[in-house]
Amino acid sequence: MSDLRSSEADLKRALTRIESRTPFAEVMAEQKVGEGISTEANSTTSTIEPRLRGAVFRAWGGVRWVEVATSSLDAASLGLAIGSIENDLSRASGGSAPPGESSTTVGEWTTDTAQPMQSLGAEEMVKLGREVRAWATSVPGIKDARVAIAWEDDERLYLNTTGARCYQNLKLVRGSVAPIAIENGKVEFDYLSEGGLGGRERLGFLTEEKVTEVARDAKALLHAKAPPTGTMNVLLDPGVAGLFAHESFGHGTEADQFVRDRSYLKPLLGQMVGPEYLTLVDNGAHPTGWGSIYYDDEGHAAQRTELIKDGRFVGALHDRETAAILHARATGNTRRADFLSRPFVRMTNTYVEPQDWSYEELVAEAKDGVILEHGTSGIEDPQGGQMQFKVKKGHRIEHGQVTDLVSSMALSGGVLEFLKSIRGIGDPKGFEISPGYCGKGHTDLLTSGTGGAYLLSRAIVGPA
Amino acid sequence: MNRSSSSSEIAGHVADRLHLANPWEVFAERIRRYEIHFNGREIELTRGPLALDGYGIRLFFGTDGHTKHGFQASTDLSDAGVKAVVEDAEKLSRHSEFPAKRVALPSAPPAERGELEIVDRRLWDRPMESLRDHVERLLAAFDGKRHAAPSFGSVRATLTEASVANSAGLRFSYPHTTVDFELAVKAFGGPEGRPPGEYWVNEANRRLETSRVVGEVDRWCRFAEDVRRAVPPPTGDIPVVLPSSMVTTILPIVIGSRFSGLARLRGIAPAAGTRLGVEKLTIRDDGRHPWGISSSPIDDEGVGHGARTLIDHGIAKELLYNVLEAGAFEEAPTGNGIRGTSFGYRDWKRFLTPPVAGATTVVIEPGDGGSDDEVIEAAGDGIWVQALGWAVPDPISSAFGGEIRIGYRIRNGKLAEPVRGGTMGGTVLGPEGSPSMLSSVAEIGSRAVLSDNLSSPTLLIRNLTVAGA
Repeated sequence: MSDLRSSEADLKRALTRIESRTPFAEVMAEQKVGEGISTEANSTTSTIEPRLRGAVFRAWGGVRWVEVATSSLDAASLGLAIGSIENDLSRASGGSAPPGESSTTVGEWTTDTAQPMQSLGAEEMVKLGREVRAWATSVPGIKDARVAIAWEDDERLYLNTTGARCYQNLKLVRGSVAPIAIENGKVEFDYLSEGGLGGRERLGFLTEEKVTEVARDAKALLHAKAPPTGTMNVLLDPGVAGLFAHESFGHGTEADQFVRDRSYLKPLLGQMVGPEYLTLVDNGAHPTGWGSIYYDDEGHAAQRTELIKDGRFVGALHDRETAAILHARATGNTRRADFLSRPFVRMTNTYVEPQDWSYEELVAEAKDGVILEHGTSGIEDPQGGQMQFKVKKGHRIEHGQVTDLVSSMALSGGVLEFLKSIRGIGDPKGFEISPGYCGKGHTDLLTSGTGGAYLLSRAIVGPA
Repeated sequence: MNRSSSSSEIAGHVADRLHLANPWEVFAERIRRYEIHFNGREIELTRGPLALDGYGIRLFFGTDGHTKHGFQASTDLSDAGVKAVVEDAEKLSRHSEFPAKRVALPSAPPAERGELEIVDRRLWDRPMESLRDHVERLLAAFDGKRHAAPSFGSVRATLTEASVANSAGLRFSYPHTTVDFELAVKAFGGPEGRPPGEYWVNEANRRLETSRVVGEVDRWCRFAEDVRRAVPPPTGDIPVVLPSSMVTTILPIVIGSRFSGLARLRGIAPAAGTRLGVEKLTIRDDGRHPWGISSSPIDDEGVGHGARTLIDHGIAKELLYNVLEAGAFEEAPTGNGIRGTSFGYRDWKRFLTPPVAGATTVVIEPGDGGSDDEVIEAAGDGIWVQALGWAVPDPISSAFGGEIRIGYRIRNGKLAEPVRGGTMGGTVLGPEGSPSMLSSVAEIGSRAVLSDNLSSPTLLIRNLTVAGA
């Protein structure tokens, strides 16, 4: 497919057509290219990103926003879309100006990489995938392994009637392996997954040593003990600490929840919520993060936003509307899952800043409890301030020592109590930003990075 | 309204441009989506039409006991666009193979079996007007409520004409509607200092069902109010009662995955004859369940939908196969080629993905447990779980669990105080003779309720692990 910028003149003409009907209008056009492979159970699937491109127009109708999208960027299709939005504008017309400040940002960004994934080619991706699968299945007891490798270039062009023009091309790479162990009808798996902005170098973690190690871990899970149940000391691994940052705190700082009066955090802005060594950020400008962007879908540049600084709750994530209502500035967090999805205030890469505890010191400090490892999912509860996230496995801590392997667990509890119970945060040695997908509710999934360092606190744990 | 062979359908349009020697199929959709999002009682955003006309082409090449296959999707309906998609699919087929010895594409539409209820006709004819009316009536249902109100929500209606064409001669199309509904109900007010409570509704349906939704508002408000006074649940392995709306968050993902041809290839599908559940438990997959969110006359490969018995009185019986998986085992495809599933949810842009084998509507046969009150009475002492944060069932290990967002303690066979917090979890399937959710079903209610892609009565599970305060 041709560069999205080849449609820029038609998109501009379409915007110009409705300019006289509305005080503000914008368009976001998008297309993706990419390739992927997955291999498992003696089958291999190779994929290419669908040949899908399109644009969404948003205009202020005086009392509310109206949107129309089209999956074709030819002049006729854009004309039809504009016709629809004109109809909507005539129905929604009113007197007020659009909320907040309209972007006037102009810029272009493309991910810079010395080893573009395109140069790898499908054949080499398949070869690497099969090699990784062979490493995993060479471990006795591993029946199968699913290996997935993919890259995509997400190209977006944003234009509005106040002169903003933001073009970005995000180059994302992801790889994963999940060995499956089976014994006497019991099935278990473990996984290894990394991803982010960049090129082939992002796949460097797929080594024989790491893959066979995770395969052995999968097999060991067949005989893992049941996790302990109840309230106890919990040591989160860096990925799980990121899940905590994202689900438990991040969603509550999306300021649309403030405007809806739906965030338990809103009345706590400016207050101490954790220990002085706790800093938690959302950083869309992270150079290699899986959730990084250059511009958001309202034309604001991505940025690092401190949510908790030195234990104090200091910031929230804003779009133009929440920034206007709450007397703040837009933080570059307005994101659409794609051109067919509505914009929301969303996180990018959310993580706990590392501190200076070593892993051994944290285990000793915990004394008794459980380590939660390999996060698998989580869900927010911005109204109630509760949290839930799940992990694939963990280890008991007994008398300051790491002991038995335990199977999958869920963690829950009140977020504020959890924050106040933090007793240590690990050093940068284990810091990572893990790739994931985040929904606003159950829909509108988009890339989201989570990360941190080992974090020791106290919560309710049970099997899951 | 269910069938058509008009060449104006997208799949037919694309098929007419294919001149290929090898087997091929086209799955296409003409989608128009309309959405209303509201914040409190104010409409904040209207969207639509979100227009999306697209198709996916899959090519098959038989080689020595394996099948090479390539899939690509596009919205470009021009001759050049179709050619580019074919070239992509051919390229991909060089690196994609599946151990299918043959590929048997359906050659004819399924036998006429009467009208299938999958289209909300008023919604189809007047989408935005129907949505506005629905939202207005929903919000009006909160009139006069002093301590509860809608926090936010959305109604997203998708009108789709799906069409399938293939090299075996099949040309078939059908319309269907889907409605995704989300609503957060907030309870507030005194006593002073008590934080607000929220009950969050997420539903996927075939129709708007305005009267039912409006009728549920009182109950949803009560749940939100009960969140405010809930206490932590007890800890231990205790009886748990799960209504259909809870079972649907746990069962279909695991059943659809573990009872598939792919699971058989992986060696993790249950062998026929294995005891998986209690004698009274029978589970079917029904692709023609009335108003089922995954019901349709054909699956996404053009195979006629039907019903399969997966677990018969506790014993594993049949598996679900798409075309490729069926070809790997010399079986017939079962009408379970499903596109667009991710994280357990069905995407509205199905043409973008190739099919996998999965469940359509999972049906748990009603039992003799009686009404919900009778099932609760049978529990004696335990909890009723009304909402979990997210059960997140693992399709491979079948482990599930999540935080209890709202539930009720059961004492002496009656619902008692609300509970919230802690976790509830277990394993859906276990090795024969070991404890699992299906082997611990103690009672099955007598009335099934359709919740998303599950039709199930209320279930009493004798033992699930609850971690409370």
